[in-house]
Amino acid sequence: MASKKAAHKSLSLPPILDLNEASALRGKLVALRGNSLVVDASAVERVGALCLQVLMAGARSWEEDKKSFTFTKVSDAFTKTTQLIGVNIDHLMAKEI
Amino acid sequence: MDMNEIKEIFFQECEEQLAELESGLLRLNDGDRDPETVNAVFRAVHSIKGGAGAFGLDDLVSFAHVFETTLDCVRSNKLEPNQEVLKVMLKSADVLADLTNVARDGGSVDQARSKQLIRELEALANGSPLPTASAAPAPVPAAKPAAPVAAAPAANDQGFMPVAFSFDEFGGDESDSADQPTYEVVFKPKSDLYTKGNEATLLLRDLSRLGEMSIHCDMSNLPPLEELDPEAAYFWWKISIKTDKGEDAVRSVFEFAEWDCDLEVSEVGDESAVVASDLPMQPVPFDLSALDDEGDASAAMAEEQENLASAQRDEAVAAAETASNVLQMAGNASRAASESAKNAAAAAAQNNAQQASSAVAPTIRVDLDRVDRLINLVGELVINQAMLSQSVIENDNNGTSSINMGLEELQQLTREIQDSVMAIRAQPVKPVFQRMARTVREIADITGKSVRLVTEGENTEVDKTVIDKLAEPLTHMIRNAVDHGLEMPEKRLAAGKSAEGTVKLTAKHRSGRIVIELSDDGAGINRTKVRQKAIDNDLITADANLSDEEIDNLIFHAGFSTADKVSDLSGRGVGMDVVKRSIQALGGRINISSKPGHGSTFTMSLPLTLAVLDGMVVTVAGQTLVVPLTAIVETLQPEAAAIHSFGATQRLISIRNSFCPLVDVGRILNFRSTQANPVEGVALLVESEGGGQRALMVDAIQGQRQVVIKSLEANYTHVPGIAAATILGDGRVALILDVDSVVSASRGHSLQLEASLAAAG
Repeated sequence: MASKKAAHKSLSLPPILDLNEASALRGKLVALRGNSLVVDASAVERVGALCLQVLMAGARSWEEDKKSFTFTKVSDAFTKTTQLIGVNIDHLMAKEI
Repeated sequence: MDMNEIKEIFFQECEEQLAELESGLLRLNDGDRDPETVNAVFRAVHSIKGGAGAFGLDDLVSFAHVFETTLDCVRSNKLEPNQEVLKVMLKSADVLADLTNVARDGGSVDQARSKQLIRELEALANGSPLPTASAAPAPVPAAKPAAPVAAAPAANDQGFMPVAFSFDEFGGDESDSADQPTYEVVFKPKSDLYTKGNEATLLLRDLSRLGEMSIHCDMSNLPPLEELDPEAAYFWWKISIKTDKGEDAVRSVFEFAEWDCDLEVSEVGDESAVVASDLPMQPVPFDLSALDDEGDASAAMAEEQENLASAQRDEAVAAAETASNVLQMAGNASRAASESAKNAAAAAAQNNAQQASSAVAPTIRVDLDRVDRLINLVGELVINQAMLSQSVIENDNNGTSSINMGLEELQQLTREIQDSVMAIRAQPVKPVFQRMARTVREIADITGKSVRLVTEGENTEVDKTVIDKLAEPLTHMIRNAVDHGLEMPEKRLAAGKSAEGTVKLTAKHRSGRIVIELSDDGAGINRTKVRQKAIDNDLITADANLSDEEIDNLIFHAGFSTADKVSDLSGRGVGMDVVKRSIQALGGRINISSKPGHGSTFTMSLPLTLAVLDGMVVTVAGQTLVVPLTAIVETLQPEAAAIHSFGATQRLISIRNSFCPLVDVGRILNFRSTQANPVEGVALLVESEGGGQRALMVDAIQGQRQVVIKSLEANYTHVPGIAAATILGDGRVALILDVDSVVSASRGHSLQLEASLAAAG
């Protein structure tokens, strides 16, 4: 689903997504609102529930805007944590075209 | 903030928790059965354990853990908090306090004692009889689900080895729970959990290590991105986990986060059906069918159950999306229903608890140094204000009454500020009294007496310095009261008293001082014995004629102990004289009254603060001195006829048909070399050490006022006969007289440096 239109933006997540990062992450997402977004989670080493909350809220908002919100290149740590805490991101994964 | 500071805060909190713990246990001991009291006690131990865990204080953690386990049994009504149980718990609280102190200050604890208590606590938790102190180490308690003591899981493993065998194919409800019980966990973090640095993901990871886990994350609370508080908790989880480690293992995963989340752990199985039927719930249509074919619950059913649960919470859950996750949670629908009801109840209880705790006035922690600096400054302000009014009076501007009015207001304001600032330092005597409770317990244990400590007026406030210095003499007196005062139970019964002795400790305010009374219902002072002892020690002559009161007061003499043999507790030669000296060093007085057969009462009267003093300003040989008002009994103008010479230098004054030695203050302090003429001066009748009265001779009385005490030692050096100094309204320094040392100097002893510092600390 990764769109290649002009409105397409990308966001690279930092390695540590903890309490301190949650506000910043929310700020970044709010700024990117209205554009299709590709989130690169390949560098993530540690992710906390707060940041996942922000990301899921983002995904939902994007859905409302009818824009695409996809994860591309997720790290093992990111996948493991989302699975562990029961946050399903399968439907948000970038599909191979 | 570095680690040490955090640790210091932890220990401060520990102190508060320990106080909370002790007062809670004492309330339970008095028959209070309020669940909130039990909770408060449990919370106190739990918080200490949590903090200790964070700092790696293993001894503290392991003891707190066992203690907590037993308390949990009380909390869940598995254990009746009777006298026997509370005795062990109070002792455990003492050991916990010891362990905390050791963790902070180093040193060592009585290992044998804490081990013994651990055994006793474990026995209580397991419902087995208490091991006696002399018994060999108690057998390893049988593993019970209710006792997550360190030994339990191990015993569990040895007792019945889990067999790696799956009953899954049978799909039967019974066999399933017989193999590995499944627990349903509802974990709803509060925002505090995250802000305190805990991480839900880590807790869930720890949980997943216990066994096979399936999880459903509820995102229905998640607001739109714009409204989202990035540091608030929105996700919550429903987890079902299969583990043989027991419910306590599941709970212990969350133990350090327990107060920052709503947690619901329940075992799935027949127990849940009981819970469901106990609850006044509307019938749940899926109940029976779900039990019947639980083994192959369909996704659709799970979905429906999820919907049901969500509907009860008025939440629109995206159930379809997450149905796959809840597949394994299809325990039964009644679970979900009862669970939500239980959640609501738990939330309500939590709210109540929070309301209760929020009713406590908010407080802040302030460095004592800062308060002292403030007090010092206010002292300066008071002095400055006095100086200002004096100079206005001296300049005699009668015309400007507005200035005088303003000055008066200023005076009132400064006085008010001073009082308020003093109140900051004021603390209730409760902590000291609580410490005494422990002393009583320990001594009662050693002496084999049965003692009850009754305290009254624990909230009476007094300056912190006074409180700090009060503990030692009070401990000593309590020891004496229990060791010497109270009789052995048999003797008490023979005397027609109850076997249990009572020691009563009360505090109250009386005319600007705090009065602390310690009374026991023991045998009272054995006057014949005291008298004989005094004669043996050459304190009095064999034919001295003493009143009962005078005999009672003999026990305040140095090196006086009436115990027949030197015991562990008292009678080490450190007697009541030390108590008296420390009370006097605080500017206090101590009295004793005793009724043979009915007990003794010690009454201490202490100043509320050591920072200000009500004093009489007097002139002696051109010097201005302040005499503490508390020492003065009366003032009088001597007449020539009342003065009698006695020996070469001594003089007496006759007051109402009794003679009282005259003390020439100017002479003793070396202000002048010749004797003053008593008729030209004023005599201050003072009460001094040993109870005797003396007439202090001064030249004139200037007035009476409150003065701010300035330490002479800190600014100059100790001066014999002088307790401290102060600054008067005219800016001059006035010395505060140490009445006791002046009086003892008049007895022929020269002024000595180690003389007690009466009136001021």
